[in-house]
Amino acid sequence: MRFKSTTGLAAIVTAAALALTGCGSGGSGGSGGSTNADGKVDGAGKTLNVLTGVLSQYPEQQKQWQSDIAAKFKAETGADVKFETFASANDELTRIQTSVVSGQGPDVYGLGTTFTPTAYATKAFVTLSDDDWKAVGGKDRFNQAALGISGPDKDHLAGIPFVSRPFVMAYNKDLLAAAGIDKPATSWDELAAQAKKMTSGDTYGIATGYKDNYDPWKFIWAMAVQAGNPLVDGNKLKMDDPTVKKAYETYFGWLTKDKVVDPASVGWSNSNAVAAFASGKAGYLMMTTSSSIPTLDKSAVAGKYEYTLMPTTAPGETQSKSDGDAASILSGDNLVVADYSKQKDLAFAYIKLITSKDEQLNYQKIFGDLPANAEALASLTDPKLKPLADAAAKSKATPFTGAGGDIQLGLLNVTVQSVPDLAAGKVDDSALDQRIKDAQTKGQASLDRASKG
Amino acid sequence: MSTDASHEVRPAVDTAAGRAPRHSVDAGQEPGHKGGLRRKGLSERNRPLWMLIPGGALMIIIIVVPLLLGIYMSVLNLDQYTLRKWISSPFIGVENFVEAMTASPLLHAVWLSVSYSLLAMVVTLPLGIAAAVATQNAFKGRAVVRSIFLIPYVLPSFVVATVWRTMLQPGGIVDEALATVGIHVGLWLNGPQTFWTLVLVQIWASWPFIYLLALSGLQSVDHEVHEASALDGALWWNKLRYVVFPYLKGPLALAFLIGMLHHINNFTLPFVLFGVPAPTDVEVLPILTYVTSFQSFRFGLSAAMAFISLVLIAIPLFVYLRAVKLDDAETPRGKK
Repeated sequence: MRFKSTTGLAAIVTAAALALTGCGSGGSGGSGGSTNADGKVDGAGKTLNVLTGVLSQYPEQQKQWQSDIAAKFKAETGADVKFETFASANDELTRIQTSVVSGQGPDVYGLGTTFTPTAYATKAFVTLSDDDWKAVGGKDRFNQAALGISGPDKDHLAGIPFVSRPFVMAYNKDLLAAAGIDKPATSWDELAAQAKKMTSGDTYGIATGYKDNYDPWKFIWAMAVQAGNPLVDGNKLKMDDPTVKKAYETYFGWLTKDKVVDPASVGWSNSNAVAAFASGKAGYLMMTTSSSIPTLDKSAVAGKYEYTLMPTTAPGETQSKSDGDAASILSGDNLVVADYSKQKDLAFAYIKLITSKDEQLNYQKIFGDLPANAEALASLTDPKLKPLADAAAKSKATPFTGAGGDIQLGLLNVTVQSVPDLAAGKVDDSALDQRIKDAQTKGQASLDRASKG
Repeated sequence: MSTDASHEVRPAVDTAAGRAPRHSVDAGQEPGHKGGLRRKGLSERNRPLWMLIPGGALMIIIIVVPLLLGIYMSVLNLDQYTLRKWISSPFIGVENFVEAMTASPLLHAVWLSVSYSLLAMVVTLPLGIAAAVATQNAFKGRAVVRSIFLIPYVLPSFVVATVWRTMLQPGGIVDEALATVGIHVGLWLNGPQTFWTLVLVQIWASWPFIYLLALSGLQSVDHEVHEASALDGALWWNKLRYVVFPYLKGPLALAFLIGMLHHINNFTLPFVLFGVPAPTDVEVLPILTYVTSFQSFRFGLSAAMAFISLVLIAIPLFVYLRAVKLDDAETPRGKK
């Protein structure tokens, strides 16, 4: 039965791949470096393997950065660094699964923050001890907010923050001024009111993509958290809470009630929204990061836009009810060290190098991502980066659970299934209730497994 | 029966080896049966079975082993918490199967997959046959037309899906074109219409495959048959119906089988067109299995789903295979 091999048996094929790679031998190795009297790790003749995401916007710069860092690392420890990159989240996942099962592969992984809980759940990565933290330069050297999604609690941290990529919104200064708005909104209600003033003809108050594969759940999460519901409370999922429904109503309402977004945005992803904002046809661009700078600086709005924090006051509220402002999900990259690695001291030395103040500032200059190093973050003076740095400090971690993936999927799925209603101009109340209820049931089941696992 | 010279030599050698009496008995029989066992054709006698080894080994590695592993995984509680020591994950028997059947959209997905594949197949069959018949006789520019027909077939699925997604997005080129003639269809890539979008794009992408196989069938029609039917005064429809179509039965039965399997297995098209999570109306089998495995990390459950769908699809396939006798080549007459 030939068709079998390609039927949706992705799982099986993966298993086979895992099993086969598991049989393979070799891999670089050596029994790890030894530490000299002066505290330097001696890694002469060894090779450290690092797996990290490919930066498709800056391919040349990334190669350059990697070879520079490798040279510095060689000078410091005598060891080589070999970089491998993954092109997509899927690619990354496959590599991690393979390594987890076979117990061999890269020593250091760069992971997206929201993927860290899933990685932690596999128990295949080092939970850092006090000594380990010392080896990477001390816990204090990092922006403390960035540590929020490194582990389930402050004594069990596996992810070492590398860069922050907080979400902010951009606004078109000309459009705001023309509508008589003197400063950007700080609550979601105010945002909608301002957006209404800016909407006329083919210009809309807000640019956002309802068909984006990530954005929708971040909006819902943020609004819910700001209303005092962090979604996960112990082993209970609180997606059926009224705050969540209110969040969906607000988010969908921009299109159905307020009519402040382009109706075509039901089919947009984030990049379409960026393009709409770049053409000068939108007052606010929601849920964007510093990675939109290169696009916007080359567009019609160059010099006319600024970043600012997204609203931190939940819809219908007058002040934030969350414990500290939640301006953005805690977003960026963490570094984790594989438990199977035989050269953990080298891995820590590498992380110490790339999270040092100078290297972090250098990285920021080339790629735009904000430093996770607290001192480096504080030293940024560019006014354009100020709101981004603010957002990094006011970012809030999404629930740290292995069920995180399912919860995101559930939140996102409510939007996906509501898009036809959105396009028709009205989201049916009972249908929305039902979709939220489904997401709650599935997410809770996943959370139950997580608490057992 | 083989007429190869080598086996004619064999009796003589046997005789020389002192088996003359038996040989003489054989000789008394009618010529065709002379030799009994020893008279087997060369191709059967020296059939190089060892040639199966490379293919067989590959089959075992890439199909049989994963299949067995998959069945094993389907009885484990294998997820991101147990993946690290997956061989020793908790054994939970049929729990995954029960969950797949009762608490997952699996049956819905099977229904969607099969119905969409059938629909696409039913439409592509006449399209492909018509195109093959139309380009059967030479005309000026036929080569160009034939080449153009193959474009959808040679384009990678990813490209096809990306282009269609761009054309079908709200306010996209398809909507605009339809709007000029006053038709407003609504959303293509979300909601209930997604099912028909998937069928439509699948038809566009796969009809040339039917066309190709139909063409090969047409070309196997002997020239004499055309002449004979012309002499009998058959009009084009009768000729097509009673003379040409019987020739197409084999290739088209094969096309139907391969096409169905390909559609049911098609992951790229729905994944790129609709993304994940997919709208419920296009949550076909490959998408469901993918999401279960790689978004929810329920590897065990996903393996159970895949296994159930394999069984569900294998049964009608088996019936179909018997019905169209695609395995005719295995009957004794065809043995060589």
